[in-house]
Amino acid sequence: MKKQLLYPILLIAIISVFFINSCKVALIPGYDASILSQIETTSKQVDKFYLSMLETTTPENNGRKFELFANEYVNIEVELNSLLTKNKIKPLNENSTRICEITLELWQKYKEEHKTKNTLSNGLIILNRQSFNDLFYSMQVAEKGKDMVRDSPK
Amino acid sequence: MNFDINTVIGEMLAAIKGSVNKDWKEVKTASEQFLERDKNRLEMIAALRISGELMREDFESRLADQKKIIEAELNALAVISKALAQNAANAAIDVLEKAVIVAIKAAL
Repeated sequence: MKKQLLYPILLIAIISVFFINSCKVALIPGYDASILSQIETTSKQVDKFYLSMLETTTPENNGRKFELFANEYVNIEVELNSLLTKNKIKPLNENSTRICEITLELWQKYKEEHKTKNTLSNGLIILNRQSFNDLFYSMQVAEKGKDMVRDSPK
Repeated sequence: MNFDINTVIGEMLAAIKGSVNKDWKEVKTASEQFLERDKNRLEMIAALRISGELMREDFESRLADQKKIIEAELNALAVISKALAQNAANAAIDVLEKAVIVAIKAAL
């Protein structure tokens, strides 16, 4: 009689182990080293873009007219678009996606400002450089956050 | 079967606490870094407005951009918080899983 009762209890217990195991919580996607690497590369590209503009050009004599920088604006925008797409296709990744959207939005805004005024002051170069530096830092923190997950759900 | 739910719940809570304590440092470090960076940018914007390099309209536009950058930073902190919550929840589930396995082994 006792044995007859034990079998169903054991069966329930074994099923619960499987159930508990499959119930592991997942709130964020897994860490992606290739995305972190692309963030670092794009961050350096933007940093170099603004530093070169600041150190090698002056606003005098149309030295900072938009045309001179249009190609690099496009190259960087392509990288930002790529980062956004890579983040967007991952499930549970709305936070990183939003950071990329904001970065792309501000990149396009500052590009348009440069295009409209056809120049950029030293102060604005420094501020833009700092703003993007901080946005890329946010992307890096988010990506590193995913690496903090100790036991990925099976 | 030897399965004391009160002991298991106690162990699950201890696992959650241990996991959160371990990760909390990361949230603190990132938050402090973000605040420092925010302060530097806001100082720059104020200086540009005072020097006249930023006109009123541009100044307001730049301030609106700061809200977006802070939103990005909060999103980064949200990822760390989610990682922290995920670690804590899974640590608790691991405790429960192990307790059930031990109880099954004892019953066999």
